[in-house]
Amino acid sequence: MTDYSIIAEDLTYLYGDLVAVDHINFQVAEGEILGFLGHNGAGKTTTWKMLTGQMKPKAGRAIILGNDIAKHTERVQAEIGVCFEYTNLYDQMTARENLKFFAQLFGIKNFDHAALLKRIGFEDKGDQKIEEYSKGMKQRMMVARALINKPKILFLDEPTAGLDPVSAEAIRSIILEERDRGATIFLTTHDMVEADKLCDRVAFISQGKISALDTPHNLKQTYGKRMLKAQIKENGGLKNIEIPLDTTDTPEAVRSLLSTEKVITMHSEEATLEDIFIQLTGRALKG
Amino acid sequence: MNWRGIKAVVLKDAILYFRNRFFAVITMLGLVTFVIIYFVMPSTVDETLKLGVYAPGIPPEILESQEIQDGIELTVIPSEEKLKDEVLEGTYIAGLALAGNPSAEFSINVYLASDLPDEMRDTIEALITEMAFQVTGKPAPVKWQQEILGRDMAGEQIPQRDRMRSLFAVFILFTETFGLAGLLSEEFERRTAQALLVTPLTLKDLFTAKAILGTIMAFVQAMIVLAIVGGMNVQPLIITVAVLLGAVLVTALAFFMAALGKDFISVMAWGIPGMVILIIPAFAIMAPGITSDWIKVIPSYYLTDTIFQVANLEAGWNEIWSNLLILIGFNIVLLSAGILALRRKAQWA
Repeated sequence: MTDYSIIAEDLTYLYGDLVAVDHINFQVAEGEILGFLGHNGAGKTTTWKMLTGQMKPKAGRAIILGNDIAKHTERVQAEIGVCFEYTNLYDQMTARENLKFFAQLFGIKNFDHAALLKRIGFEDKGDQKIEEYSKGMKQRMMVARALINKPKILFLDEPTAGLDPVSAEAIRSIILEERDRGATIFLTTHDMVEADKLCDRVAFISQGKISALDTPHNLKQTYGKRMLKAQIKENGGLKNIEIPLDTTDTPEAVRSLLSTEKVITMHSEEATLEDIFIQLTGRALKG
Repeated sequence: MNWRGIKAVVLKDAILYFRNRFFAVITMLGLVTFVIIYFVMPSTVDETLKLGVYAPGIPPEILESQEIQDGIELTVIPSEEKLKDEVLEGTYIAGLALAGNPSAEFSINVYLASDLPDEMRDTIEALITEMAFQVTGKPAPVKWQQEILGRDMAGEQIPQRDRMRSLFAVFILFTETFGLAGLLSEEFERRTAQALLVTPLTLKDLFTAKAILGTIMAFVQAMIVLAIVGGMNVQPLIITVAVLLGAVLVTALAFFMAALGKDFISVMAWGIPGMVILIIPAFAIMAPGITSDWIKVIPSYYLTDTIFQVANLEAGWNEIWSNLLILIGFNIVLLSAGILALRRKAQWA
């Protein structure tokens, strides 16, 4: 039997008459990375807040590590790590002071701040004030802070948004290391490529409801269309041609293309998560 | 309650408080300035009335007689014109010029400075009547009877600097409101409060930590100033209790200001008018008679009145217990309302 770290049962939240999260149900298994994808206002952050105990559901419940978080908030929060999208560190304090302070809140004795700083590549930057850090450095510190209590579940909200490639890759490595350690990861992101690369499963949320939840591979298999993309020469210029794969007409269409046209380039292409998201929700994730 | 977490937040806030140059400078400046002001001000009250007299027909020894001189310093001026000049320059609060023969009909011209209060004019009028009696030997047709209401402070008037002790304490306490309100509003503005609230620390723990820090900071500073300026010489326990209640009042008001303000600037904008109102009772003590009973609706009245009565009039528990009780009542109401307002802000942050 699978052990679930997160169970959402009919989870619902309303802002006045506006239904922000509409009776959603899902489970996240121990050691799994779940990507939670949705455009702004889809209910992603509200769900995230209910799962981390920042908001109480209006209906339904969130079972985190076997506890209803609305009833046992502090007990659950002692076991989870939360990384916010925005930087909310104490700027006037050093990295070391920030980590030690949060370690005290979790009641961790003999906290090894040096090891954690080393893990994010800040061995020699621990005594610098946060206000002197770049955006990428601050975000790495945010992730480090979420790891202080060696959490059983790590909730990450857009951890790589707007970061330089080096910082983003460093954070992705930490996420994978945490998964390997056995932590469950709940990751909200706009970055479909990142979700595809990191997540065991992804959930698409739109208008407060989950429209799809599966592995990236299965979603592509179920909703995506494989295409053959070719570039041909025509009237002195170039023209793009797309031929759907996996149909009965495909062999004939390909044969015809090769015999009648001057093909410059040709390759097959899988549907992306972005394509599937648009197909299911009717709008793009970004913009 | 998560006391381990509360302690961590209190220590963290203490570090941040003193790393904020504005708070640190204001705190030190307040402490040093008030102490300097106290010691620079005169420690005694000059109760002598200085009058100039032009009286060509009266021998100076009569004017210098002890009966006339008691509490009055008379200086004989050689001419009426010079007398007027001296009064205008403020050397004397009034000038008396006697015209005619003192043994027969005579008149007295009284020259008063334009800003002399009415009550002082009445005093001088009575004084002239008395002097006329001394000079002419004719009794005044009025029988004077004096009754001292309350403690007779004649000869031991409270120096202005001692009256200011309440002001120092209240000013120090309420300056601290800005510090605490600033720390609280920044916690929500920078959304660090959200980071705290996803740890085992609860909103109740967070508020408790802020209240402890605010109360300690305000209390310690006010006690230091009062100890230096002699406010603790009489009934130190009552003063300690009063200042502690004042520090709790400060915390309650800081919660309100933090709930209303979005950042430190808006906290200042809300706080300054409030602070002006709360300091009014302290000014009223410095200048008795300028206010009436309406002042008792201001919570800080009960703090300033207690400090003044205990430190200057040696009042005891019997005299001030009602003040302390009312102050406790204000604290309960304002602290509850402040927490409620801040809780609403936290929920919507």
